[in-house]
Amino acid sequence: MRNRLKVLRAERDWSQADLADRLGVSRQTINAVETGKYSPSLELAFSIARLVDQHIEEIFFPE
Amino acid sequence: MTTPRPAGPSGHTVFALLITWLVLYFAVRFFLEANMDLSSGIRLAIALIPTPVFILFVWTFVRGIRSADELERRIQLEALAVAFPLGLVLLTTLGLVQRAVELNFEDWSYNHVWPMFAFFYIAGIFMAKKRYE
Repeated sequence: MRNRLKVLRAERDWSQADLADRLGVSRQTINAVETGKYSPSLELAFSIARLVDQHIEEIFFPE
Repeated sequence: MTTPRPAGPSGHTVFALLITWLVLYFAVRFFLEANMDLSSGIRLAIALIPTPVFILFVWTFVRGIRSADELERRIQLEALAVAFPLGLVLLTTLGLVQRAVELNFEDWSYNHVWPMFAFFYIAGIFMAKKRYE
């Protein structure tokens, strides 16, 4: 699954560690999601969407 | 925000318990080998000394996994998915080989096979971490 997380994070000038702290996950998790190697759970996807104030389908989309 | 994770034990605590168990295991093993003349009851009691420490290690390790985030739990699951079947294959194969030919007890006893389980787990962790890097 592709996503715009890296762009959204850069727009907010957050590091991966910043975003990880805000979401309560590890930096490794953020990196794996950004690179598309790991698809987050619904719970984490909703948390990300809420944090960047966007709908899930605006952040994550199928290949 | 995601559901708050319970505060888990630090990696240092888990590692310290593992080291404690290893030291106890080898101390007990060498003591038993050097004191063959003790009664079987005493030898059995001494052989069980490391077990509570290992149970505490497992309990602490499980608490650590419960407090880990979702990717860390996935990595642990994939590592165990590698290590557990490989451990079963190793034991069942050794069982069959032992029926076919006489294995040297000192080379292939349970004393020497168990480190392979740790090796399989570490290999599984390495593979899973590599996958999500």
